[in-house]
Amino acid sequence: MNFKGTLPTLILEALAQEPSHGYRIAQQIKERTEGVLDFKEGTLYPALHKLENEGLVESYEGVEKGRPRRYYRITESGHETLTKDRAEWRQLSRAVTMILGEA
Amino acid sequence: MTRLDTWLKQATRHLSKGSVAQVRTEIQEHYESARETAMSGGATSDEADRLAVTELGDANTSNRQYRKVLLTSAEARMLREGNWEARAVCSRPLLKRLLPAIPVVMLLASLALVLTGEIKAARALLAGGIAMGLVFTAPFLPVYTPSRGRVFRVVRGVVMIGALVFAFGPGALKMSWLLASCLWPLVWIEWTRVSIRRKLRVAEWPKHLYL
Repeated sequence: MNFKGTLPTLILEALAQEPSHGYRIAQQIKERTEGVLDFKEGTLYPALHKLENEGLVESYEGVEKGRPRRYYRITESGHETLTKDRAEWRQLSRAVTMILGEA
Repeated sequence: MTRLDTWLKQATRHLSKGSVAQVRTEIQEHYESARETAMSGGATSDEADRLAVTELGDANTSNRQYRKVLLTSAEARMLREGNWEARAVCSRPLLKRLLPAIPVVMLLASLALVLTGEIKAARALLAGGIAMGLVFTAPFLPVYTPSRGRVFRVVRGVVMIGALVFAFGPGALKMSWLLASCLWPLVWIEWTRVSIRRKLRVAEWPKHLYL
């Protein structure tokens, strides 16, 4: 299933739990959606760069298992955007459920 | 060439050298982690390699997305060479003193033409003087925040259009096809600058990107 446009919100949600690197973010999203969302990992980094350009996440150098890695963390502005996105999503989800009915 | 190299070559097409290095590093890190996970799950080296690259998805799709958020080679060149006129002027002391005098001379010449009754030529000179004055004073203005930059660009656009309308008078609309064909390179440059501003953090903007 491909929910276009939801990837930035899913990334922000993953980073709201803890700072992380690209691979772990991808795994976290896949695990939490139980693989339902069709999500190609090559599209994760452009989305991360876009969030970084918008000031919603920031990156820093970290080390994992002795290897340097680029970590990302959510900013104050990112938290605000995530809160707004969550509210919009609940509203949309409620509206669609009202039409389609509880399955 | 490995599968990953082929993927990276496609995904980094038309990106700047800096962007290519950034993409290579992050995708290489990602690929190694994915490969390790696959091998710890019992996959052979070749299977793990194939799986890790397949998980990255279509390289052309990634390339399209990267080009929207990272500098392309054309944008990097414009950023590097975008203020060559200013550098060329500043490196020649005589030219540096002479150029700001041109708008003043044009305004004085326009006044002289008004006095001799050459109104049409006077209008053209006055409009040119105002437009050139704005261009030459821009680097000295305190435009160093994005909002001031936006205000400056709007004012500059309005003054430029106003100057052209003023210079051509009632015939400005008739001449619009000529103006449009002459000004499209400026529009293209401004369009590219908009794209660069979106991709760079404000802290990384050089002075000429505000203008």
